[in-house]
Amino acid sequence: MRIADKMQYNQVTSNIQKNREGMSELQNQAATQKRVTKPSDDPLASTRVLSARTEERGNNQFVKNINQAKSFLEFSDQSLNELSDILVRAKELAVGQSSDGASNEESRRITALEVEQIHSQALQVGNRKLGERFIFGGFQTQKSPFDSNGEYLGDDGEMRVQTEKEGFLAMNVPGSKVFLGKNLGNDGVIRDRSASPRTVEDLNLLRSDRERIEQEKALKDEDYVQTRGPSSFGRANRLASEDPSTQDLGINVFQTLKGLEIALRTNDKAGIQDSLDYLDQSINQVIHARAELGARVSTLNANVDSLQKATVDQKILASQLEDADLFQLVSDINKSDSALKATLETSGKIVQSSLLDFLR
Amino acid sequence: MAKINQLLDTGRRALSNSQTGIATVAHNIANKSTEGYSRQRVELVANQPVGEGQLRIGTGAKASQVTRTNNPWLEKQIQKEDTLTGFQDSRSQSLARVEQIYNEQQNKGLNQYMTDFFNGFRELSNNPESLASRTMVKESASALTKDFGRVNEQLRGVQNDLDGQIQVSVGEINQAAKEIASLNEKILGVEVQGNVANDERDRRDLMIKKLGEKVDITWAEGKDGMVSITAGNTAILVSGMSSNELIAKTTGERDRTEVFFKNSENGTLFQITNNFTGGKLGGCLEVRDKTIEEFVAKNDELAYNLAKEVNSLHIEGYDRYGKKGVLFFEQPESVKGASQKIKVNNTVLNDVGRIAAGEKAFAPGDNTVSNMISSLQHRATMRDGSATFDDFYSTQVGEVGALAQRAQKAFEAQKNIKEQMSNIRESISGVSLDEETTKMIEMQKSYEASARVIKVADEMFDTILSLKRM
Repeated sequence: MRIADKMQYNQVTSNIQKNREGMSELQNQAATQKRVTKPSDDPLASTRVLSARTEERGNNQFVKNINQAKSFLEFSDQSLNELSDILVRAKELAVGQSSDGASNEESRRITALEVEQIHSQALQVGNRKLGERFIFGGFQTQKSPFDSNGEYLGDDGEMRVQTEKEGFLAMNVPGSKVFLGKNLGNDGVIRDRSASPRTVEDLNLLRSDRERIEQEKALKDEDYVQTRGPSSFGRANRLASEDPSTQDLGINVFQTLKGLEIALRTNDKAGIQDSLDYLDQSINQVIHARAELGARVSTLNANVDSLQKATVDQKILASQLEDADLFQLVSDINKSDSALKATLETSGKIVQSSLLDFLR
Repeated sequence: MAKINQLLDTGRRALSNSQTGIATVAHNIANKSTEGYSRQRVELVANQPVGEGQLRIGTGAKASQVTRTNNPWLEKQIQKEDTLTGFQDSRSQSLARVEQIYNEQQNKGLNQYMTDFFNGFRELSNNPESLASRTMVKESASALTKDFGRVNEQLRGVQNDLDGQIQVSVGEINQAAKEIASLNEKILGVEVQGNVANDERDRRDLMIKKLGEKVDITWAEGKDGMVSITAGNTAILVSGMSSNELIAKTTGERDRTEVFFKNSENGTLFQITNNFTGGKLGGCLEVRDKTIEEFVAKNDELAYNLAKEVNSLHIEGYDRYGKKGVLFFEQPESVKGASQKIKVNNTVLNDVGRIAAGEKAFAPGDNTVSNMISSLQHRATMRDGSATFDDFYSTQVGEVGALAQRAQKAFEAQKNIKEQMSNIRESISGVSLDEETTKMIEMQKSYEASARVIKVADEMFDTILSLKRM
């Protein structure tokens, strides 16, 4: 092949250019420690890195949600612990006053005062606040859930937080459940789609269900016949009232205490004995709620563990996809460097020599 | 018997031939670095010999013509490769810019703003009563809408820049066409006298290649040695000694630079923007009118659907004041232009209390709707339920990455082909100093020898003339 001068110069420039380009690319990788600095470096990897990062940020948010929910649940648990202590004390008092052997009308009247005190303590627990929020009001977090008579002003709302992509968990126990015994069968882990709606259709389904349940309940309340307790005090213990949605039996803690107090005041021995059962059930109801809280906390702990592991996995995945392999990089740089030097050296020789040098 | 006179004549002609040869060597050396130059050679032919009886005595050589060493088919091939190279070059350059808009390797982009937006609602679910978490939702939503706008604006920015490049290319095309027409004229002038217009032809070949880099052309050389050139299969740029201009101007139709052609001074303007498929112009047009438009449309689709889905959930809820939820985003009327128009509803911007977190009225702790909105992130709502917002967006990132990568690779491959072709061209037509030096020595030697011949002839005359005196 005939070699023209311009050919050589072109070749030299293009070879040096190529080597320099390679070096600059490698240098950029070394400086950023990244193999992928723009989507075209590896289109597939860059989209996977994006979704890994989205996942990671989502997980971080879920961990935040869980921590928030945990503090709410733990505070609820503490409060309920107090409540069960109070109820146990009430039961002790009731046991002491249930027979004529150790008590009389006088001692019952004095005990009634203490039970009244216990009633107001229980109210205090029911109106407990975490930060600016009443914890037992359901969705009604901005006003006291219970008035001085123990009437519930809150609702059945469960505040759900997202703990993983497809999972929600309620961080509160509504007062209606612990203190009034409604929806006992509901454990707060959301499984049913309509319970944790995603779409407008889900939401409408939920709303129509709720309406139906409320109507049924209203009918039940109308038919409800008072079987026991002083007629002077509104609706008494609702042991036999079933929740239409769950068929569970529940008990009103405040009315139980009020019933005991009135029985003590009126020296109604049978009433005191009756209230022992109710107190037992109240205690069970609180313990039941606490067990549920505990179960949720441990679910959350397991969740946090798996989220943290997933976060690490996502980080590793992203790193594998986009980070430069340092050893590989350094050896590539050395290779490129020696190629560049060789190019420069030979280029110098080619460009310098000419026939003219030998014509003197 | 040869005459001494004739010897002098042969010597004189040989001297002048060597001089011509050295002049051509000098021309070659001087044009060693001239782009598109083909080395030239003096064609020497032996003179008609003189017959004397049985003998035919040579009478030296004459320089018949100066020719260039050139392969016209190769030149044509190179021109075609140049058109492809021009196309890939402008395409890969502008795609690299489009790619940067979607590059989230170092900067925050739409993907992250979307995650932040949904996490904002998750934070609101944690604490729907708090103004702080409501404000966060508002802020992350505003940032998201701004980023939709940014992507749209930057895509439009690349288009505007391409408009400018098209203007410049059209100017260069017209310039080249004009020069080629005037070279046609010069070549005709020279060649009509039977000479070869070497340097003009070199220059014209070069200009055709340069024109081909800008736009796809077809051309042919007529019998008279003049070329006619058609661009984009329709616009006759050069015909004989005259050239026509392309006109680039912005029309109101879509507010983009369009290319027009007028075939005569008073002829009508034809819009031929879509006729160009090659060269730099073709590359610019493809990215501007096809690729970017597609990405703008997808960005619009994403913005529109996000606004629609969030709105449809938000209006089901109740805000802090127990009022029914308003539209969270101002719903763009159409998909087209949605990314530019998407905006958080002013009612929400002015009062974050209007964000509807709950599905029940007067339930401050209710976060049902807020949960519904945040779980939109993982619901396949795009394209008839085939993709989530995240999927849809990261598919675009993958797409732009693949496009840019392929364009870059194609450009590099094309550049290599072009390099190889021009190496072959240089191998044929390029000047080699070694060769020229040898040639120069050769000519110099023959110059010296011819001079010696003249001297010998002179001495021969002297010898003859001195016979009398002896």
